[in-house]
Order: sequence, then C-alpha cells, then structure tokens
Amino acid sequence: MSDTKGFAKLQFAGVAKRYGEVVALHPTDLVIQPGEFFALLGPSGSGKTTLLGMAAGFVSPSEGSILVNGQDITRMPPERRNVGMVFQNYSLFPFLTVAANVAFPLEMRRHPKAEIAPRVRQLLAMVRLEHLADRLPAALSGGQQQRVALARAAVYNPSVLLMDEPLGALDKNLREEMQDEIKRFHAEFGATVIYVTHDQQEAAFMADRIAILNHGRIEQAGPQSELYARPNNAFVAGFLGEANLLRVTACAAGEPGSRSVTTQEGLRLVVPQTSRTGQIACIRPADVTLSPAPLCYANTYLGTVVDLVHAADSIRYRVQLNDRCQISVRATSRRCDARFERGQQVYAQWQPEDVLLMDN
Amino acid sequence: MSGCPVAPPTQRFAQRMTQCVLRGYSVLAFTFLLLPIAIIIPMSFSNQPYLGFPPPGWTLHWYEAVRDQPRWLAATINSFCIGIPTALLAVVFGTLAALGMARGDVRFRKFLLLMVMAPMMLPHVIIAIGLYPTLVDMRLHDSYAAVIVGHTVIGIPLVFITVTASLRSYPASLDLAARTLGAGAWKAFRRVTLPMIWVGIVSGGLLAFATSFDELMLALFLTSPGTETLPRLIWDQLSFALTPALAAVATLILILSMLLQGLAVYLGVRRSVAKRAMP
Repeated sequence: MSDTKGFAKLQFAGVAKRYGEVVALHPTDLVIQPGEFFALLGPSGSGKTTLLGMAAGFVSPSEGSILVNGQDITRMPPERRNVGMVFQNYSLFPFLTVAANVAFPLEMRRHPKAEIAPRVRQLLAMVRLEHLADRLPAALSGGQQQRVALARAAVYNPSVLLMDEPLGALDKNLREEMQDEIKRFHAEFGATVIYVTHDQQEAAFMADRIAILNHGRIEQAGPQSELYARPNNAFVAGFLGEANLLRVTACAAGEPGSRSVTTQEGLRLVVPQTSRTGQIACIRPADVTLSPAPLCYANTYLGTVVDLVHAADSIRYRVQLNDRCQISVRATSRRCDARFERGQQVYAQWQPEDVLLMDN
Repeated sequence: MSGCPVAPPTQRFAQRMTQCVLRGYSVLAFTFLLLPIAIIIPMSFSNQPYLGFPPPGWTLHWYEAVRDQPRWLAATINSFCIGIPTALLAVVFGTLAALGMARGDVRFRKFLLLMVMAPMMLPHVIIAIGLYPTLVDMRLHDSYAAVIVGHTVIGIPLVFITVTASLRSYPASLDLAARTLGAGAWKAFRRVTLPMIWVGIVSGGLLAFATSFDELMLALFLTSPGTETLPRLIWDQLSFALTPALAAVATLILILSMLLQGLAVYLGVRRSVAKRAMP
C-alpha cells in the first residue's frame, strides 16, 4: 500500500505572517522529512494554525517560501497543492453520503468512475467504516465522522496530510482510541503528516518530532525525548511534562567533576561539570527521590511534606525545602516504597544530571 | 413550566393567569394587524358601486370588470416583467456581496456593510429622487430598465441578509475543505457552497420579487404609462374612482403574496428540519 507519492519533504523557509501590526508568525525555518509524523504543539495563538494554514494555502505568508520536495508552492492555490487536510470540526459535506464525501476529491481530479468506487471502498475499509458508506454524516458519531474525514483527506494520496486538532472535539476515551487509529493509519499509509495540537501528551504519543510554538515562534523542535531531556528554555520545560523551575543567581565551581549553582530561593544545586549555563534550573518532579533518611545523592535537602495528592499511578507531593522554596515531587508506585504524611520530615534528593539548566 | 413540577398551587394559578392574559393580548394584536387586510376580501364581492363595509349584497361583477379591463392585465404583466429580472439581479449582486463580506478578506467591512444595507433604511423617495434625473439623462426613463434598476437597489439588501444567514449557518472550513480536496474556487462554490446556501438565495429572491411587486414610490417616479406596475395603477385608479374593482385587484395580489410567503416559509421549515437532523 505504501505509495511513493505519499512521501514528500515539506520545507518552510523563513516564512512569516503579519496582520498589520500584529505578528502571527515570526520568520520561521522548518524542514519536515518524508514520511515523518510531525506535531506542532503550543497554546492557542502561538502560530501553529498559521503555519498549517500556510501549508494548506489558506494563509499567504508575508515573507518566505514553502517548498514540497524542493518545488516552491508559496503562491499555489490550495486545490493544486495536493495536500490533504483534516479539520477539528470534521467539515464533511452534510448533503453527501459517507462514500460520496470520500469520492469527492477523486471526482475533482477527474479519476475514471470505475477507479473511484473500489478506491473509496479501500479507504473506508482502512478506517473500518465500510458498513456506513451510504449514511449521511449527520447519522455518524463524532469519532466516525473524523475517520471519514481522514479517509477523504487521504484517498488521493496527498503529498502531505495536515491535521488541525482533529481530536479536539472528542471526549477523552474516544480521543485515545482515535490516537491509536491515526497512528495505525499513518503506519499503514506512510504519508508525511503535520499534526496541530495543544495537548502535549497527544503530541508526545503520536509524533516522531515535535515543534513547540509560543508567541508566533518555534521555541524548540526535536523528538519528544530530546525536548523532555534537554529543553532550551523554561517555556519548553514547562509545556512538555512537569517541571520545578528555579531561577539561578550565581554559578560556582564545586568538587572535581561537578559545578554548582545557587538559586534565587537560596538552594545550592550541584550540576554536572559538562552542563551548559543558564538562568533557569529545572528539576522534573519524577526525578526527585523522597526518603526518611538521606541516601547517597549529590543534591539532598531536608524538607517537610505540605500537601499530597493521589493520582492513578503515582502520588504527587508538595515539599517545602526552605521558607522560600516548595517543589513538586511525583513518586510512581514503584518508587514509593515509603509513603509520607502531611507534616512529615523527608529528604528530597536528586542527582546532578537531574538538574537541567536552560534560558529563561 | 416543566422546570418546576412541585410549584405550590397559588403559584401555578398565577402562571396560568399570566398565560391567559398573554394569549388574549396576542390574539387582539394580530386581529388589529390583520383585520384591514381581511376586510378587503368581502369588499371585493360587494354589489355596490363604491367601497364600503359591510357590503349589502354579493356579486362577482368587479372581478369581471378587472378581467375585461386590459389596463389591469397590462399592469400585471409589467409587474412580472419588472419583478422577475429584479429578483434575478438582486440575487446575483446580493449573493456576491454576502460571499465577499462573509468569507472574503475585506477591509472597511463595517462601512461596506452599511453601504449594502443603506437602501433598506433610506426612504424610497430619496432613492427615487436620485435615480430619476440620472435615468432621464440616460434616456432610460421610458423603459423597464429604469424601474428594474431602482427595484434591484432595494432588493439587494434582502438577498444579502438571507444569504448571509445561510453562510453563517455552517462553518467556513467546509468551503476550505472543498478547496484542499481539489476543487477550484468556482467548483467549490457550485459543489459545496451553493448546496449549503440555495435556500437563502431562493428566499432572498422571493423577497426581492415580492418587494418589487408591492413597491409604489419608485414605481411612481420610474414608470411611464407603458411600464406602469399594479401598485401604480391602483394608485392612479384610487384618485378618480374608489370602486370594489380595486378591492378585487388587492385580493388577487394578496393571494399571490401569500403563496410566495408560504413558499418561503416552507423552504425555511424544510431547512430547519434538515438542520435538526444534522447536529
């Protein structure tokens, strides 16, 4: 089924969008590799939909250009770009049956009738909706409608598949089911996908690489593991996963093989010798170990449990380290052999490598 | 009412009273509004040579008089010859304006909206005074074109309103979806936008036709004896003979208007039923 037409390299070269004085997107460079599942992640108004609209041809860039496999498509109208788009509100044509919706792009491309019907059946089979081919969209559930939209956007082998928060309108359980469905579809279909979302778990679960956007800029792009382990700045650290962010006020050389930094709150943190400099220190709540007696960690602080919340697979503690500093600690069931009560004294500790230094 | 099934009896009594009073008031208000129209119908069957109510006897004479008077037939044909092109032109311009304002990247949107809607707010006599000398200059004042231009101006905002409402009833992403799926601008309009808004277009066209059919002020300025419309002829006849023939004509116009209204309502109902099926 892997059709080589499905693999295209998409390149944004210095694209920017301004509406009068308002900057929707600062000049941005981004290359999306053939067959890659790429997520644009960010809060609303961060520019992710603008970037997607440029790829689709709805938004014309104020500057810069967009290339598909090296061909400039910046000024090409949407219907000639051969991109597929899945919208948050499904956008199925309500007066056409499911099969006619999926056939629509093939008819627009003047495919012979004899080819259309089997191809439509094939795509509906891929999203497991063959039995609903003759229904109108209104008779389908939200998840089913989105699967039809996916089939319709993919039926003509678009060079790039664009998805604008496709699961935003679905409830949580259905969303998770559809995430699997879309991943399976991508694996089977093998298209280059740009996936816009504001849900970091969804992006982490589905995408090969993620670009995190904020205020019309890409803050950082890379595989999820890299963004999580080496965030460039405080926004990325806070947006992808949980983070205790502490402001660094001074750096000092420590014992051989390590350095230390002092934070605004008066904590002295031992960091690896090799780590970069930065104004912000980040400690992931999951990297902190709590124990009743000190263990052998370079960073060990005596604190008091001020609050705890039980989640499904972990316990989240708030630990007061000194009168200016509280941190979050997430103890997974595996690691919390010892449980702590509110008001109890505990040692919070972590390794130098667990302290991530970054820009503000 | 269903929200408070355990309301105390006194409160329920008060609610029922309020409802009765409101219902009575509505009936009176509608009677007051509709009675003058309803009185036209019996008056048209009166056996007296003047307009009066109640008629002492009944006859179909006045309908025969209207039928035998070629001027009435000519005016009816004129009204259609003016109303139909007016509706078509208003549909074209009104729909284009609505599409541009709803979907386009338009600057000075508020100002343009005001301009499109202005003919609805302005007194028709002002439009007439403006058009008359211009059309005389263009030597069009004796032709259908004169009054068609005038009526199109007041018909455009009606189509604009109904089509804008249709365009707002569905997300713009439907049109964008058609484009990404390979439909050019015109094909996307024909295959997706038009099926979504045709009810608005047809209702707007019917409204524009009905307005042209009823309109007097512009017709007074912009029609000549050769192109006079039904309202203008009624007006001329009123000034020298108040016979039940006028009531007969009015009754016929009333029936036509009600048919058009019924058609527009029927289309609207069908659409809202279709929408309820599409959450």
